[in-house]
Amino acid sequence: MPIVVLGTNHNTAPIDVRERFAMARTEAPAVLADLVDSGAAAEAVLVSTCNRTEIYLSLADLQRGDTAFREILADRVDVPMEALRGYLYLHRDKAAVRHLFKVTSGLDSMVLGEPQIQGQVKEAYQLAQETRGLGGQVVGSTLNRLFQAALRVGGRVRSETEIGVGAASISGAAVELAKKIFGSLRGRNALVIGAGEMSELTLELLRSEGVRNCVVANRTYERARELAGKWGGKAVSWADLEKSLPGTDIVICSTAAPHPVLSLERFRTAHPKAASHPLCIIDIAIPRDVDPRVGDEPNVFLYNIDDLRQIVDDSLDRRRAEIPRAEEIVANSVAEFWSWYSSLAVVPTIRDLRSRGETVRKSELERTLRRLSHLPAEDQQAIDALTRSLLNKFLHTPTVRLREAAGNGHGTAVLDSVRYLFELDEEPKEAEQSEQAEE
Amino acid sequence: MIGILHIGSFALYGVAGALLGVSLMRDMRRLTALASIVVAVGLVIHAAGLADFTATWDQLPLAGLGPALSTLAFLIGLGFLMAATLGHASTVGLVLVPIVTVLTAVAAVVGIAPGDSPTSYRAGWFFLHIFFAFVGIAGLAVAFAAGLMYLLQFRELKSKHFGAIFRFFPPLETLDRLGRRGLLIGFPFLTLALLLGWAWTVSFDVPPGNLKLTWVVLIWVVFLTALLARLGAGQKAERGALASVIGFIVVVVLYVVLRVQEVQQGVFL
Repeated sequence: MPIVVLGTNHNTAPIDVRERFAMARTEAPAVLADLVDSGAAAEAVLVSTCNRTEIYLSLADLQRGDTAFREILADRVDVPMEALRGYLYLHRDKAAVRHLFKVTSGLDSMVLGEPQIQGQVKEAYQLAQETRGLGGQVVGSTLNRLFQAALRVGGRVRSETEIGVGAASISGAAVELAKKIFGSLRGRNALVIGAGEMSELTLELLRSEGVRNCVVANRTYERARELAGKWGGKAVSWADLEKSLPGTDIVICSTAAPHPVLSLERFRTAHPKAASHPLCIIDIAIPRDVDPRVGDEPNVFLYNIDDLRQIVDDSLDRRRAEIPRAEEIVANSVAEFWSWYSSLAVVPTIRDLRSRGETVRKSELERTLRRLSHLPAEDQQAIDALTRSLLNKFLHTPTVRLREAAGNGHGTAVLDSVRYLFELDEEPKEAEQSEQAEE
Repeated sequence: MIGILHIGSFALYGVAGALLGVSLMRDMRRLTALASIVVAVGLVIHAAGLADFTATWDQLPLAGLGPALSTLAFLIGLGFLMAATLGHASTVGLVLVPIVTVLTAVAAVVGIAPGDSPTSYRAGWFFLHIFFAFVGIAGLAVAFAAGLMYLLQFRELKSKHFGAIFRFFPPLETLDRLGRRGLLIGFPFLTLALLLGWAWTVSFDVPPGNLKLTWVVLIWVVFLTALLARLGAGQKAERGALASVIGFIVVVVLYVVLRVQEVQQGVFL
């Protein structure tokens, strides 16, 4: 059964298309169950994030599964299926496995090496595991093994390379700088001046790093209160900004003010020169909110948007340099997975071979025992055991060789030979014929 | 055997130092963990060498230049390992591992044999005095390494230069904490060493102005200065780091000066 991934991502579709394809967590179970129940796929996992909507399928009929998912997507964006062609990609078998491994490793992400995708894939996989169709679970042995391997590969790439090291966004760079001063941010106090989008993004990151108290100051007090309420902080009026500065470890400035909000004089009034604790000020506003001379004050570390951009550029350069090593891990893991997956293809042949052998053994045994009916039961059992043992020994080496052939890429040729030599695709005749002849 | 074990540990410290150097230059963070493991193996071999010395000479490897430097190197190596594991600051090895390597090399070159100090000097508490002093010096070495790296990282952060030091060195807070702990652990040991040394001079009628004791008193003063620099308001972490760095350099320079002076009178350490 082929493994297939069908989907769209930031490389193939613009945001207005991606957002229409995106599926909420609550929608996924119904889509998965429909695909499996309709027989379009044997197994299915749906990964839907802001940058990608992909379905991973294990299916008997590629055409049917492909069409079924395209129809689902076409319905969502309300356009004919033909119009979707340019936005979608389809990878099959090894290419599909490689694609998933690259996704979990962050190699296929919009921001190279970003860590969230690993968690998002894990969540999608868990959701699929919990989903049940009419015939039971929508994830079986193939996709179970595939996703477990993919999550392992993602972990390996992150731990064995530096693909995820350093900040890859402005807000991430702000946090990295603060951590270079304070180490852990747990229990630190932050003051956010301005309540724009960048302030919120940085505040969100600081909160996730364990920053304890967040104070938000904005010219519009209501907006400050709104942002503070959302992130469990405290709003202060614009006039009280100075009062919040002492005791603060990190200041984030992002107002739209046309002149510095924090002049040197205002800063000196609010922040005693003899302060023994460092103060990290991140000024991401343009024009700048903080007088650059504030950065010359003792124990004050002041950074602007250009400084943050420099950190981001350096990080991305270093991440790009890690791509070959990450790709190597992915390639080795794909080969490993494919070796296991290929060995599955020989299972029916091994089963048929054993079944054919067992049929012959039983019929021959019955025929012989009819002639030797005078023998005691123990002797008859001994003959039965002997034939069983002979058959097992005879089939042992072919079974091992078949598995090996599947692993080293010669599976198809060897399978065909075995099926031909032992007539596994035909009804058993010989045994019947010889039986009839005897009668 | 003692010599072979010392050369073995020296080689491992050298390898660890090289790994740390490469990790800084090539920005390969994972090598620092490997360097810590190599140092740990070196310390095990070093400990075997010191144990062999004790068994062979029936005394602790504290008297005589070679054994004393070897023990000091071992203690500083342990300090590094603690900083790397408990303090999550394996990169302080960039400063500490070369110190350990040089001390071990010098010890091996001058020979790991007991000094020719009078037997009466070798009372148990005399060895305790030296051991405590060495633990104190090891603490000061850790504070020196952390302080030096703090000052470099501080300069990088202030000057907005986000190069290898920014990426590779630990955060300021970590380095400050490590320096403080080095001093806080070393200071009580050195104070005890000083008290034992004073008692020793009284018991054995050692003439006043003994250079060894003068040196220990100086280290104690350096410790106190570095600790006092961390009190009060203002940039206390930076002051503390600076005091640790200058203090350690003064201690080393003075040791060399005193040693040169003492050559005629007997063996120092």
